[in-house]
Amino acid sequence: MTHRTPPASPSNHRPVKMARMSDGMDLTDATTGMEAIPSYRPDAKARRYDRQLRLWASAGQRSLEAARVLLIGCDATGCQALKNLVLPGIAHFTILSPRSVEAQDVATNFFLHPDTIGRNIAEEAVKLLKELNPAVEGSAVVKDPAQLLQSDPDFFSAYTLIIASNVEPQLEMDLAEILWKASEKVGGPDVPLICIRNSGFIGRIEVQLREHCVSDTHPEQTHTLRVDQPFPELEKAARSLDFDSMDSMEHSHIPWVVILARAVSIWREQHGGQLPNSDDDAERAAFKDMIKSWRHKADEENFDEALRSSYQGFTKSELFEDEAVVTVSENSKNLHILLHALKQYTSQAPHLPPISPTLPDMHSSTTSYVALQNLYRAQFNSDFARFKQIVAETLGRIGLPADAIPADEIESFARNSGGVQVIKGRALKESKEMRGLVAEVYTNVDEQFVDEEKPIHLGLHLALLAAERFHLVTGRWPGSPEADDLAEENRQVEEMALSLLQSVVPGAEGGPETSEAIAEVVRGGFSTLPTTAAFLGGIVAQEAIKLVTNQYMPLDNTVIIDLVKSSMEKYKF
Amino acid sequence: MSQVAVAPPVQLSSKTTEYLASSSRYRDVDKILDRRGPWTDEQFQGGQAAKDFLRQQCKILVIGAGGLGCEILQNLALTGFHNIHVIDMDTIDISNLNRQFLFRETDVGGSKANVAAAFVMQRVPGVKVTPYFGKIQDHPASFYGSFDIIIAGLDSIPARRWINATLVEIAEQDENVTPLIDGGTEGFRGQARVILPAVSSCYECSIDTIAPPTAYPICTIANTPRLPEHCIEWASVLEWPKVFKDKKLDTDDPDHIEWLYQRASTRANEFKIEGVTWALTQGVVKNIIPAIASTNAIIAASCCNEAFKLATLAAPSLDNYMMYSGNESLYAYTFEYEKRADCPVCGGESIEVQAEKDWTLETLLEKLEDRQDLQIKRPSLAYESGAPLFFQAPPQLHEATKPNLAKKLSELFSEDASVVITDPNLPFQVTVSIKLV
Repeated sequence: MTHRTPPASPSNHRPVKMARMSDGMDLTDATTGMEAIPSYRPDAKARRYDRQLRLWASAGQRSLEAARVLLIGCDATGCQALKNLVLPGIAHFTILSPRSVEAQDVATNFFLHPDTIGRNIAEEAVKLLKELNPAVEGSAVVKDPAQLLQSDPDFFSAYTLIIASNVEPQLEMDLAEILWKASEKVGGPDVPLICIRNSGFIGRIEVQLREHCVSDTHPEQTHTLRVDQPFPELEKAARSLDFDSMDSMEHSHIPWVVILARAVSIWREQHGGQLPNSDDDAERAAFKDMIKSWRHKADEENFDEALRSSYQGFTKSELFEDEAVVTVSENSKNLHILLHALKQYTSQAPHLPPISPTLPDMHSSTTSYVALQNLYRAQFNSDFARFKQIVAETLGRIGLPADAIPADEIESFARNSGGVQVIKGRALKESKEMRGLVAEVYTNVDEQFVDEEKPIHLGLHLALLAAERFHLVTGRWPGSPEADDLAEENRQVEEMALSLLQSVVPGAEGGPETSEAIAEVVRGGFSTLPTTAAFLGGIVAQEAIKLVTNQYMPLDNTVIIDLVKSSMEKYKF
Repeated sequence: MSQVAVAPPVQLSSKTTEYLASSSRYRDVDKILDRRGPWTDEQFQGGQAAKDFLRQQCKILVIGAGGLGCEILQNLALTGFHNIHVIDMDTIDISNLNRQFLFRETDVGGSKANVAAAFVMQRVPGVKVTPYFGKIQDHPASFYGSFDIIIAGLDSIPARRWINATLVEIAEQDENVTPLIDGGTEGFRGQARVILPAVSSCYECSIDTIAPPTAYPICTIANTPRLPEHCIEWASVLEWPKVFKDKKLDTDDPDHIEWLYQRASTRANEFKIEGVTWALTQGVVKNIIPAIASTNAIIAASCCNEAFKLATLAAPSLDNYMMYSGNESLYAYTFEYEKRADCPVCGGESIEVQAEKDWTLETLLEKLEDRQDLQIKRPSLAYESGAPLFFQAPPQLHEATKPNLAKKLSELFSEDASVVITDPNLPFQVTVSIKLV
């Protein structure tokens, strides 16, 4: 992107809508002799969203503004999650509930007022949530979710994402199963489901999704420079360096990427095409010695940087591997088609995704840096042209028009393609069966329980599962009655926990940690502490944003939260 | 500073009156207060005593009515805190509206504290929120000593250092420990901590873990720019003072940003550097930190959860630091941050500085400015006796002490000595002991 200089006079060099935004005297107009540069001063919307655009940029915002979110279970936690999604500007939210507002709802939920007691809870919460952002559409559906699931299952697959907050265990399982089945078909709707459960200080969030692609993980180290296998133009530039003819200024300002690419090229030539062996101390030292031997002075910062980054010379850039997207159809999501194209792209040498066109800052002169950046950009342009070609062919083959995927979406995917991640999820039913991980931990109790934290979180998970079992049997939550015999409730839940555990690990004992976990969960009686609701609502919204924007790695698939100890642990069950 | 008397909210409807009178409305929170958990402290009495303290006696102060503050006020009101006070010197800006959910477009320009207080009282009938529109430094220490708990949701490090030092001083002098709960966020990450002044580690104990804002070397900005940021820094650090002399750059004035943006773009074009944008210009010169509602929700909830535990003993409180990150899946780390023996606020020992006899006073000054555990900007130095060594202000003292900068330490000190530092960043004096080597 370059700034073109319009031939316009200074008074109209800015787009009209921008001019309207300016308030007061314009310093630019008062400054003579300046080149006219279009302002692009942010409009009201960009200013409102400024602090989040700095995280997920306009691409993420676009996805968010297309997202339709459904909340089932209009409780404090669910409404807190919605609040954190309405504020950044999703397109639409629906709350589904036939229930009436009660005093306890008002006491825990900020989006209900006492004056609304007795009216429909979904309608009232929608009203107050909509106030948060005039750009967001909200609607209430006054129906019973369980009946709707029977009569109109397609209702649910029309959403981008569904949040089920503290809904009855049976409904949760039925909903999860319907969504899981719908996503089975290639190109079928794959609607992520986030399930929330909280009791007092304890909470759990579970995510069900079949497959999810992260197109930008925002890693700390953002640049894959691929110095281990420099592309031809980079290698040529690196090999043509003539150290002896350089003055000290020039020599101390060669970008480290070029120095390292040169070292890799020479090393390979001398070692039959092999990189230095990263496990071999002597080879690593010899590789570094080669770089050191090119130094003119001991204090050249660019060589310090090259030596610090030398590991990039013996760390092989990874091949892109994913079996997810073998087939695509005209119903496939854009991302799937792009992933499919990427797989084809990397089937050809050098079996790597398009190179990233951006460079990190490094010690260098302006000209050397810009020249290097141009090399990377030119390589990206050529990689991108080939990738675009493959996308076009793919679209043609499955019967979609060439512009079915917007050009800027293809480009932003290609720019980040080195960091693309694909997550394979699991059905909620399967993760709740606690085979795998839980079985493993409880089988090797003595060894695994050395780490003090784990049994508590796993114990809490077991307690929540047992409580759900309790609900299936009795139709109510343990610890819920007003005048209660907690000891008896604990005993019953413990019995269920043990039988659950023994169904996967015969003969296993719960241990004291499990009893404590059960006691804390039953103490909460599946009531809502407003602070727990806000905490979980924040996490759910973060995860929803990650899923909707395809940016940042999301949770896969369960986190157990203990606000007694302010700790949490995540698991892939 | 002004405490605005907010009129009691309009007449309550009969439904609301009935709601306020019903004892069952707190049914959810009461489960936790009526029952002991397996990890609950022995001192927990539960029942009516805990409820009375929470709902009638406890006086809690919220510092900051911004991203964290709005969430904190909501949570406290719902949890049952009744006597809430909030202080903030800021007014509402449109860029707050993506997360500061107690404000609407029509509130832009209004006091955050006043608008937030009025909103919470309207939404949660029965709660009393007293706003203060002004700086925290304008209230005396006794004001802060009058609260049972203080929660800070601040984005300013100097303000946090100030309230921390103030509360530690109160704790040491009057043996009145007012817990300080501190939250902070950046993007998808944040932290919450509980500080028991003079008992646990304090904010100053961990000051060295705060990364200083990105600084670009002047020679890069002036001679070898490579990034758009270098061009923006050139425009704001070098060009603005050259062109506008004494006129101060106001980073909140869009016309000033516009000027910087134009200059930076011109320079970037000259050097064929791409990527200077209006938003980036603003971000660099204002040092803007990304902020979203969901992260504020998590951190504010943790802070209020700790306030609830401190007020009711329903569960042991956080000892004493929790970090949260949602950048890569999600992750929390809870640990005890340890007291620093040479913490200038709560430690007994003084910070030791090794200095060479041949250093000039100016070199010592620069070394002190570089120290992460001091985080100072424009220090003034005095002998332990109080006699000035080098003062930044007032002008006469500055002129009188300036010649000392060129003197060697061996001329100024005959042996190891203590030096007292004052600095605009420091809400207190620091005594460092200089070891001559």
